Amino acid sequence: MFIAIDETKCMGHGRCYAVAEDLLSDDDEGFVAERGRCWELPADLVAQAQDAADACPEGAITVTETAPADA
Amino acid sequence: MTETRRGCPVSHTDYTGHAPILSHYGLLDADREEARFLFNDTTERGFFMLQRYDDVQEGFQQHENWTTAVRSALRPGLGEPLLPQDLNGQQHVKLRRILNQFFAPAAVRRMEPMAQQRCIELIEEMKGAGECDFVKEFAIRYPTDMFLALLGLPVSDGEQFLEWSDAYFGALLAGDPGRAEAAKTSIMKYFDEAVNERRANPRDPKEDMVSRLVQARIDDEALTHDEILTICLTLMLAGLDTTRSALGYIYAHLAQNPADRQALIDDPTLIPKAVEEFLRLYPLVFQAGREVQEPQDFNGLEVEPGDVVWLGIAQANRDPRKFENPDQFDIARHNANQHLAFGGGPHRCLGMHLARLELKVVLEEWHQRIPEYRIKAGTELTERGVQLSMSSLPLEWSV
Repeated sequence: MFIAIDETKCMGHGRCYAVAEDLLSDDDEGFVAERGRCWELPADLVAQAQDAADACPEGAITVTETAPADA
Repeated sequence: MTETRRGCPVSHTDYTGHAPILSHYGLLDADREEARFLFNDTTERGFFMLQRYDDVQEGFQQHENWTTAVRSALRPGLGEPLLPQDLNGQQHVKLRRILNQFFAPAAVRRMEPMAQQRCIELIEEMKGAGECDFVKEFAIRYPTDMFLALLGLPVSDGEQFLEWSDAYFGALLAGDPGRAEAAKTSIMKYFDEAVNERRANPRDPKEDMVSRLVQARIDDEALTHDEILTICLTLMLAGLDTTRSALGYIYAHLAQNPADRQALIDDPTLIPKAVEEFLRLYPLVFQAGREVQEPQDFNGLEVEPGDVVWLGIAQANRDPRKFENPDQFDIARHNANQHLAFGGGPHRCLGMHLARLELKVVLEEWHQRIPEYRIKAGTELTERGVQLSMSSLPLEWSV
């Protein structure tokens, strides 16, 4: 499973790293530090990744079976 | 509704009046289910209503074409300058960058001990009386004190400050510029003294927001004194009435739903989730406005330059296409976090984490000290339109 965080959609709501603290972290401005990245998830963090996607009011986080084509 | 405007059915619903509590949500739900897009003709300019969750979320993301030249669809002519709201594009991003660090979750967490202490003091002051008008005596005083603390000002000024801010905000929402201006003069004089004090005695700009604003440079230029005062005024306008209103709806709910209240008393770790669900269920800022700059086809809605667009925050938060049983308070709701109570896009509420902290701390500290309370018998609760607020919420408890 892969997680991708769309840098253009992320507006720094700060909900994702609040619910996925083993997976994501915050920067000084309160944005998720991993924005703009796409990476493969370790199996034990897939659930947190899904929680993070469910917590984003901008729809900036996607969790997919395969790596997104444009990544 | 047979009448149409540019293909949209026309709504005559007036969202600016006083009405029984929760009745605005009924009007908003009815409009959303009437048609995907509506044109509302109750204001001079009128506005096109985006009402479903997906449309409202996407609407907030149209920030390049839909600007904050209009901030409220209901009050498009409100001339009060606000910062950073009035800026768009890169200018907005640059000012937000300066402010963000004082409102990020990590910065807000540092305020928590002070937030708890002040909250406890205010509750202890009123607990012995066995009654209070919750929105008038507590729910506005607490965020006012927190706002002063954020600016590094003494909370002992809270009582005086509250008088000014209440007069100002009331006049603005009533659309009475003369009365607003008079109240504003006192507030701006107070900010002016505070900012000048900080110019003379700067503190650590990493910790102190006013010192940071005084020293900040955008494209090598300092913020003007007036801009700094406008930022202070904007933070005040954004943070006080909204928090009071949120607390009012939350306490009206908890007073009337003992099982929900008991759940929070039994397990206070549920409170942060409850706060999210309350924000979803009872958004006070039930709409935001935007002004269209270029012609655009938005999912079949043809908009033209100068059009006012309504982004239906409450309609999105209560959209059954997004949230199952949207009228229910459900503390276990998996996607409650996706609510749009704080807006979206680059203008999303700067103070959202401070608001969350304040709501959480109040729920924790209050229920430790006053777990049982009720609305005074015979009370008829009403709410103000434009931006929801209860004028009164009389609570009583045993002492």
